[in-house]
Amino acid sequence: MIRQDAFAHPVTVGIVAATAAVLAAAAAVIGAMALGGRGSPELRRELWLRLGSWCLLLPLMMGPVLLGREWVVGAVTLLGLACLREFDRATGLFREPLVAGLVVLGILAANFAALDHWYGFFVALWPLTVGVIVVGTIPRDRPQGYVQRTALGIFAYMLFGAGLAHLSYMANEPGYRPILLMLLTTVALSDVAAFTFGKLIGGPKLLPATSPNKSVSGALGALAVTTLLVAALSSAIFAGTPMARPHWLILLGILVGIGAQAGDLMLSSIKRDIGIKDMGTILPGHGGVLDRFNSLLLVAPASFHFIGYFVGFGLDQPVRLITGG
Amino acid sequence: MEFRLRPARDHGLPAEERLRSLSRERGLGGLLLGSAWRMALRGYLAAFHRLEVTGREHLPPPPFVLIANHCSHLDALTLSAVLRGEAARRAHALAAGDTFFGSALSSAFAAYAINALPVWRKRTRSGELATLRERLVEDRLVYILFPEGTRARDGAMAPFQPGIGVLVAGTQVPVVPCFLEGCHAAWPPQRRWRRTAATPWPGRWPAPARSRPRRGWRRSLARACATAPRAWAAPPSAVWRRRRKA
Repeated sequence: MIRQDAFAHPVTVGIVAATAAVLAAAAAVIGAMALGGRGSPELRRELWLRLGSWCLLLPLMMGPVLLGREWVVGAVTLLGLACLREFDRATGLFREPLVAGLVVLGILAANFAALDHWYGFFVALWPLTVGVIVVGTIPRDRPQGYVQRTALGIFAYMLFGAGLAHLSYMANEPGYRPILLMLLTTVALSDVAAFTFGKLIGGPKLLPATSPNKSVSGALGALAVTTLLVAALSSAIFAGTPMARPHWLILLGILVGIGAQAGDLMLSSIKRDIGIKDMGTILPGHGGVLDRFNSLLLVAPASFHFIGYFVGFGLDQPVRLITGG
Repeated sequence: MEFRLRPARDHGLPAEERLRSLSRERGLGGLLLGSAWRMALRGYLAAFHRLEVTGREHLPPPPFVLIANHCSHLDALTLSAVLRGEAARRAHALAAGDTFFGSALSSAFAAYAINALPVWRKRTRSGELATLRERLVEDRLVYILFPEGTRARDGAMAPFQPGIGVLVAGTQVPVVPCFLEGCHAAWPPQRRWRRTAATPWPGRWPAPARSRPRRGWRRSLARACATAPRAWAAPPSAVWRRRRKA
């Protein structure tokens, strides 16, 4: 497996530097607000909390990407398990330990397939794991609640196992770093842009029953910002490949922009249905891990298959590194 | 049990508060940790105390309240270790909050290893007992409880406190008495470890409040619950004579 230096690509350098600069600028702005007495103490405290969470999260997100392929797979596995835990506890799936256990095994298997660089197994795990979840609880002879627990198990596996593991598989491409960093940062920026445009422009609500705070202006602003940013970064990342055509790059941007917001709205729908505000409490100012990474859930498989269609991931790299064959 | 799309009872609580919450529900990780702990504990009790259990087949399916004489910290560990299957997964030891939930570390141990729920001596509110009772029935739990309220310093069984009655009032949840022998001698630091035996008693006591509560029903129930362990604590000949008389 070919390994490149962490900062071999200029886009990697640019994204890491820009992220550090944005954090420093945000700290300076909040500090200036505190010195000038602007904004309520509660608002400033909330902003500090959010900034503090970002200062913890960004190194945790970017660090594995910079460190190497195995680190990415490890981090995505932990992320999937953390998301599953919150989902379990929010939906009540944790009361079905057998189904939850099968989903855990599915998450581990999907990421193992990515680590092994075995695409056949990676793809086969979708129907195989669903089959195991569907059949797994039948021997207990307890048909009450079968549809609900099985459906929730499949839903969880598709999102946190099969879906997120696409990020792991991307790391089999030697030049994966700028791609992953682009996805991680633009998806995070999409949330910030939606919040900012919504506050600045206002206007009608997007889906008031699903997510009362999201406006149409915020959604469109976020889509525009994400599309342009992804297209710009992709033009540098995919230069010289069949994908380096403006319409494909813009389409990738739209895909990421819509996927990010759709993931957010999907989680909002789950939360409204259950009647909870946040999925967890582990990240001050954000809620749970799933509240922070919901935008990535749909973006990961969508962008993987879009990029894979043009350039592929790790096509010229050795396969089945662990299992052999 | 029918599946209900309902978040964990402790959803939204900060981590440390969750450990001390009466609403704490275990997930897959907690179940695995608890199982590993019970296995290790069973091995330890079998190897170092030659633990013997008789009458386990008399235990009903959850929910039920398992009560016993209390003279050692080994008591709760022993009872939680000898339960099997669904009863073991649903078992909560009701432990003294000031002893087991004083710090974050001890709370984590009590919560994850023995799945204990805190009971704060002399400041337990009726709402907390109502929460425990509600969970006992709705979540089909098993509570391990020592109605004496504290460890008997001399090993002799003390009168049962009436709180056990409040816990099962108005429910059909059976109370299963059990007698523990040898724990008192095994635990004190000055004494050598020796054999410990747990003996579930086949009798059950239905809840007292199915009929109209009468004056003093809580104490009556406590006395009734104490009968079996007290009988087992007596010399075998005495038990035999009492049974022949009956």
